[in-house]
Amino acid sequence: MLWAVATILFLMFRLMPSNPLAAYIDPTFTEEQQQALMAKFGLDRPLWEQYFIYLKNLLQGELGDSFFYRQPVGERVLELLPNTLILTFSSLIIAYAFGIVVGAWLAWKRDTIAERAAIPLVLTTRAMPEFWLGMLLLAVFSFTLGWFPAGGTRSPGSEYDGYLALYTSADFLSHLVLPALTLAIYSQGLPLLLMRSNMLEVMNEDFVTMARIKGLSNWTVVVRHAARNALLPVMTSFAIAVGYQIQGNVVVETVFSWPGLGRELVNAVSASDYPLAQGAFLMIAIVVVLMNLLADLLYSLLDPRVSHA
Amino acid sequence: MRKLLGMAVLLAGAAIATQAYAAGDKIREITLMTRPQAAQPQEFQFVQLIAQEWRKLGLDVKIDVMPWEQMADLVWYNRDKWDTTGWQMVGRPERSDPDELIYNLFHSSTAPKGYNFIGYSNPELDATVEAQRVETDPDKRQELLYKAQSILAEDQPNLMLVHPKSTFAFDKNVWDPATAVNQGGIGIRNTWTFIQMEPLGEQKDIILNSSDNIQGINPLWISGGTDSWITELIWDRLLRIGPDGLPQPWAAESFEWLDDKTIKLTLRDGMMWHDGKPVTVDDVKFSFEAAMGDEAPMYKPFVGNIETIETDGNTITFKLKNATAAFLTASLAKLNIIPKHVWEPVLTDLATKEDNAEDYQEPAPIGSGPFKFASWTTNEEIVLEANKDHFAPPKAERWILRIVPNTEAAIGMLRSGEINFLADFSGDPKILLDLMQQDGDLEVVSTVDMGFRYVAFNHRRPPFNDPEFRKALSYAINRDLIVGAAFRGFAVKSNSVISPALGFWHNDAVNSFDTGSDVAKSILENAGYEIKGGALHYPDGMTETLAE
Repeated sequence: MLWAVATILFLMFRLMPSNPLAAYIDPTFTEEQQQALMAKFGLDRPLWEQYFIYLKNLLQGELGDSFFYRQPVGERVLELLPNTLILTFSSLIIAYAFGIVVGAWLAWKRDTIAERAAIPLVLTTRAMPEFWLGMLLLAVFSFTLGWFPAGGTRSPGSEYDGYLALYTSADFLSHLVLPALTLAIYSQGLPLLLMRSNMLEVMNEDFVTMARIKGLSNWTVVVRHAARNALLPVMTSFAIAVGYQIQGNVVVETVFSWPGLGRELVNAVSASDYPLAQGAFLMIAIVVVLMNLLADLLYSLLDPRVSHA
Repeated sequence: MRKLLGMAVLLAGAAIATQAYAAGDKIREITLMTRPQAAQPQEFQFVQLIAQEWRKLGLDVKIDVMPWEQMADLVWYNRDKWDTTGWQMVGRPERSDPDELIYNLFHSSTAPKGYNFIGYSNPELDATVEAQRVETDPDKRQELLYKAQSILAEDQPNLMLVHPKSTFAFDKNVWDPATAVNQGGIGIRNTWTFIQMEPLGEQKDIILNSSDNIQGINPLWISGGTDSWITELIWDRLLRIGPDGLPQPWAAESFEWLDDKTIKLTLRDGMMWHDGKPVTVDDVKFSFEAAMGDEAPMYKPFVGNIETIETDGNTITFKLKNATAAFLTASLAKLNIIPKHVWEPVLTDLATKEDNAEDYQEPAPIGSGPFKFASWTTNEEIVLEANKDHFAPPKAERWILRIVPNTEAAIGMLRSGEINFLADFSGDPKILLDLMQQDGDLEVVSTVDMGFRYVAFNHRRPPFNDPEFRKALSYAINRDLIVGAAFRGFAVKSNSVISPALGFWHNDAVNSFDTGSDVAKSILENAGYEIKGGALHYPDGMTETLAE
């Protein structure tokens, strides 16, 4: 699986039209200096040879050196990954918690004024472009009200011992609020609508009717019986959303100057920095594969039938 | 290609021989290249205006919009495949010496591979720029540079447009506006400002923005533009370019030309590296020798002229291969002085490997400059601390660079205090001025840049090899209109690659000439060009050799 991803990545970047070093070779360099640089990055060798070197290095956990930063890709990617993960997970958890609760509630309130008002509202927020929403939140909560800082993960010049100290600080959390909120508003539509339609379907099933006949309270029927079953596809979509979100974060990372992997990835692609772009994509692929695994495991926890089968 | 051209010339000759009178061919469709509006709004705008004026002369002009990578690839590596293009040269401290631009852009030796990508060649100009290069007497050199500028004004190798103004802003409640230093051709974002700017209240940290990530903090690698702000603060140089654009003593307390090829400098007493060890003349010698070796290729061109370096007590003497007027600016004020005890083992190790010094990032860089390295968070911020033991100690406590890719957010941050110095602003300067009106806390400073914007003509492709034709195309353009419409007033018009910001070298006499379609048309007519049926034709007997 990861091998396929790695191979596709390799070929994809080699097919891009521009010469990767045109961006870094100063035109005042002599011919020999340019050749030396090409040789240094292995770009003077035939493609198949480059591919095997790439695979061999990959197996040893070696992602190569970035053309642009001249530093190992692995270190850089691992430094930025936590920032992206924490932004992605915090926003998705908010979005999914909100979406599941409100989605179930709207299914319950089928054909009421609440539902008729809420659905267009959800669709509208879902359709707002991320950067526009982000700028709007910045203008209101940062520049006008001054409640939250406008960019970065920490106040200028503040120091923390490691990621844990940083991520648990009030400083960090206040920086996290606006970008996480932007992403959460942007992503709540899917779990909400999915939960609602699943609920509507489940509510018509025999076992729900059975539960009602047993005389269980409305609350128990909706939450313990219906919601639990309606939740399964939503959890699967969470795993997929993580992968989608990590790459899609670039807009929010740019608006809020968030030092994450998405921004790095886009910079690397536009600068033809193959090793860095490949490394970043590969890291995202690993996260997605892990999340799918996690979703499968969660499934068997939520629905014992899966593990019996 | 060359063969084809030769054939064409032969055929043209045959045509003239058989026909007593042959009207010139219609001039082919001319392409004018520009980068996209989103990336370069000003260039995109001036290209439209210029194409409009050229069409009035009967030229068929096609505007080609392309991204920078593609444009650079054509202009640099396919030198005979384009007609005209919007282009720019940016201001850099080492360009304070006029030699770099006037020599590299126009000397015929740089036409095949260097900066003279337009293929301009004029023996008289070659001789003049060669002479100014070795003239160490400033007044005589000024005269030569004036002459070079007149030759260029006459030949119009490029269509010079404007010197833009660079605009920066800071919070004047935090920093005393009287202490910001406006460096000629650079603006207020410079080392002098960072050292001398005085805090007015509790906030003593200069917090500034950059939209680009930091590539590296390395005294032997000329990396990204923002990176150079940092290297200039961490490392000292023997001389520094002053606010007036001229080199002045820095780590060297004085210098003296013994003859036109020998210069002797005295190192300042009591300088310390940030790790507490003293700075010696051995370190200085080592720094220049490092650049002369093979591990720092980007600095090598700046030391190629050095023959020997000798030290004695606290003095250091450079003997040059050739006399060079620009040695002070281009070498002594350019090279970072690095600690031998840190870099010698590193360079020795690198000599055995494929990597060079550009691949080596010190975990905590050590220099002797006015600011010390404190911390670096990837793609987020760089923190430097004031070096209070320096001979020019900064008034600020810390210098904190925040990476802010969102320009609009940077303005908001400036107003909310998250940053207090707007050091990188790519938007419309008018917005900043409007903000200054609304918000009484901001000080906005615009400075005429030493960089410039222009349209390059490709002399390898007729009719651009004809100075009269180039002159007509250039004189057709009203620069005042370009300044107003494309740059919204944030530029001054230009007819010389030496900016008025470099007051001593700039020849103001080249700036006055009449413009407009009528002027251009009469130049064309006098040179034999004809407008027939609304289309511009070559002079009698000349054929189009490049028609596709």
